[in-house]
Amino acid sequence: MSTILEIKNLGKKFGKEPILRDINLALKKQEVLSLLGSSGSGKTTLLKIIAGLDTQNEGHIFLNGKNIDNEKPQKRNIVYLYQEALLFPHLNAFENIAFGLRLKKETISAIREKVNKMLENLDMSKHAKKMPNQLSGGQRQRISFGRAMVIKPELLLLDEPFGALDAITRTKMQELFKQMAELMQLSALFVTHDLKEAIVMGSQIGKIQKGKLVQYKSKRHFFEDEFSGVKQEMDFWAQIHSNDR
Amino acid sequence: MKKISLIFFSAVVALPVCSGLVYASLYSLGIVGVLNSGVTLENWSIVIFGSPFWASIAFSLYVGIISISLSLLFALFIALSWRKALKNGMLSTVIYLPLCFPATVMAFFGFQMLSKSGFLSRLGFSAGIIDNLNSFPALVNDAYGIGIITTSVILVTPFFVILFTNLYQTEKISEYKELAITLGASKLELLHKVTLPILLKKSYATICLFVIFVMGSYEIPLLLGRQSPQMISVATLQKIQRFNLYDIPQGFAMAVLYVLIVVGFLLVLYLKNRNFFQAETHYK
Amino acid sequence: MKKLLQILFVLSIVFPVVFLLLLSLGRRWAYPNILPAEINFENWEFLQKSDSKLFQAFFISLGISLCVSILVTVIGFFVSKTIAFNKFRNVYLILAYVPYLLSPVIMAVIFQYYFIITGLTGTFLGVIIAQFLIAFPFGIIIYLNFWNTKLKSIEELSLTLGGSRWQTFKYVLLPLSKNAIALCFFQVFLISWFEYGLTNLIGTGKIRTLTVSVFNFVIEANIYYAALACCLLVLPPMILLYINKSLMFFVEKSKTLS
Repeated sequence: MSTILEIKNLGKKFGKEPILRDINLALKKQEVLSLLGSSGSGKTTLLKIIAGLDTQNEGHIFLNGKNIDNEKPQKRNIVYLYQEALLFPHLNAFENIAFGLRLKKETISAIREKVNKMLENLDMSKHAKKMPNQLSGGQRQRISFGRAMVIKPELLLLDEPFGALDAITRTKMQELFKQMAELMQLSALFVTHDLKEAIVMGSQIGKIQKGKLVQYKSKRHFFEDEFSGVKQEMDFWAQIHSNDR
Repeated sequence: MKKISLIFFSAVVALPVCSGLVYASLYSLGIVGVLNSGVTLENWSIVIFGSPFWASIAFSLYVGIISISLSLLFALFIALSWRKALKNGMLSTVIYLPLCFPATVMAFFGFQMLSKSGFLSRLGFSAGIIDNLNSFPALVNDAYGIGIITTSVILVTPFFVILFTNLYQTEKISEYKELAITLGASKLELLHKVTLPILLKKSYATICLFVIFVMGSYEIPLLLGRQSPQMISVATLQKIQRFNLYDIPQGFAMAVLYVLIVVGFLLVLYLKNRNFFQAETHYK
Repeated sequence: MKKLLQILFVLSIVFPVVFLLLLSLGRRWAYPNILPAEINFENWEFLQKSDSKLFQAFFISLGISLCVSILVTVIGFFVSKTIAFNKFRNVYLILAYVPYLLSPVIMAVIFQYYFIITGLTGTFLGVIIAQFLIAFPFGIIIYLNFWNTKLKSIEELSLTLGGSRWQTFKYVLLPLSKNAIALCFFQVFLISWFEYGLTNLIGTGKIRTLTVSVFNFVIEANIYYAALACCLLVLPPMILLYINKSLMFFVEKSKTLS
């Protein structure tokens, strides 16, 4: 499968302070790369640079083999999703999803069809006319997804999208995302600080820490890596299990 | 203790207006007052079916809407174009300076600027644009309320600049703009599909309130307006204070009508905009 | 280009102050001179004499405004707290908006009668009461923007930790409310300080506040003293601006859209 996103030697400084150092990354089409990173790791900056909302000091970004360093964010077809759902407060659920389609000047009937289909996929058809302040956190996150996916972006960047949700809603959203990703054949970068979520969501795993990124060759490599934290988790549960006896 | 608070509140807030309305109604109906000759609907019919009152209301509405519209235009331009300078820097303090100027001072200043013998006229003369006092256009005491509108705009615009600057922050417009960019929006689309709708929707109720404020303003039209049409506060007061005793009941009728109109306005605003009066103290 | 516009804008804001100052210093200003013929401090020196009308007007205004703002701030604090957590909070809020929206002059017109029959017209007390009646609702609106469930929870927490009502007030509520109290005080002060129509009507012109003086001088065609009165009017607010500019601005909050 071809590579959709390639990052070479990317660096970013904030004044004198290096935020990102020598980042290298390769994402294949229709794959989801989970990035384990906590706050302060530079993950948000990296995602913003990829989306074109910020510029790097060094290095290059390639989308489908083409260098997009100087491409305006409107033209990159890369959507960046915040942790908060950020639905447009003056538009209802339907209009929020339709936003990108209206910008592309699609016909009214095409918009209606695509948006309604998306609402169905998200199981939100009943809530189409509701305003954002009438929806729950999980519902808003669904609409936020729908809005991003309906315009069929080349790449989706998700910055801890489920961080603000409770455990049950979180699990539901993880399942929903996996379904939609497969259905719409999405390529995505999924950033999270939660170990389990990273393993569940991505087909590939990487870790970003203090501005440096490590992309593991496979999940197995990740599990076996001393510093990935997986071993500690497993030891923890094993210890509990043996104490119980 | 709580009961006392509630009673005190109701007394201070509702009593003056209600009791005042009672008196004003009684006076205008001829039941009390210097000329009380018994119940008569004459004053009310003069006011309601005559044109001066409605001309006043219409003129006040016209001044209110034009002033606020112009202020919004300027304020949005300033708040959005000069966002950075307004956040830090000299402009962020200087913009508060006009808030120190009350309507009285603005009215006086406006008159000194815009009248035929005012500063602008003198500048025009020195620059050779006009050759005598009377050639200067009538900007105050004129039929279109230009002086009133100009001064009101100067008074109100800084307030909206500060309002929009604050709203821009609290409503996280930058983040919405970034989101919309990645969805493909151009700069122009950002302005009229994201920034303006959010700012205006959020400040809608405040804007309506300001129209009511300008409509009811007194000092500025007092100095800068003319006999007819007059804005409603000036018109009402004139009726009350004139030597013609027969005008006084009409003045009271006008006052009552004005209060009813404003209360009506307020109710409509409330019904259409419950969010505005909502708060985080809702106890169910 | 942007910088140029901004500088022009700043100049246009500062211009009125400079203009009024110059005018207040002037004596004769025949058309078409751009500046008054005489500029000296005579007008301002006149101010210094303690029997000068302007000097008195300044302190009359100051006295009235301080009384009104203290009354509204203190009483409003306790009354608003009760209203904020009451079932009918919204009804009370709408009630408060009515006198807030009405033109103060027209309010004075309709309740003037009651001031006449109680002999309060033309007295300080009358003006203070009248201004209190229009400023109190505004104070309530300011405070109602401030009270929220979090504060209520903190108050209850303090009580469960054993604090008496007085201690809770002094050590918990008061420190947390400092900003709201300051805001209310200064906003009401400004309303009273700037008020003309109502003061003139209820005070029947006998109570010469600064605003009343401005209009009196205009009627007397003494624009120099009028400008001087304007300068004095603008002075305290500018001092306030210097202390804390955010106290000058108030707008009613509403729930965030999202």
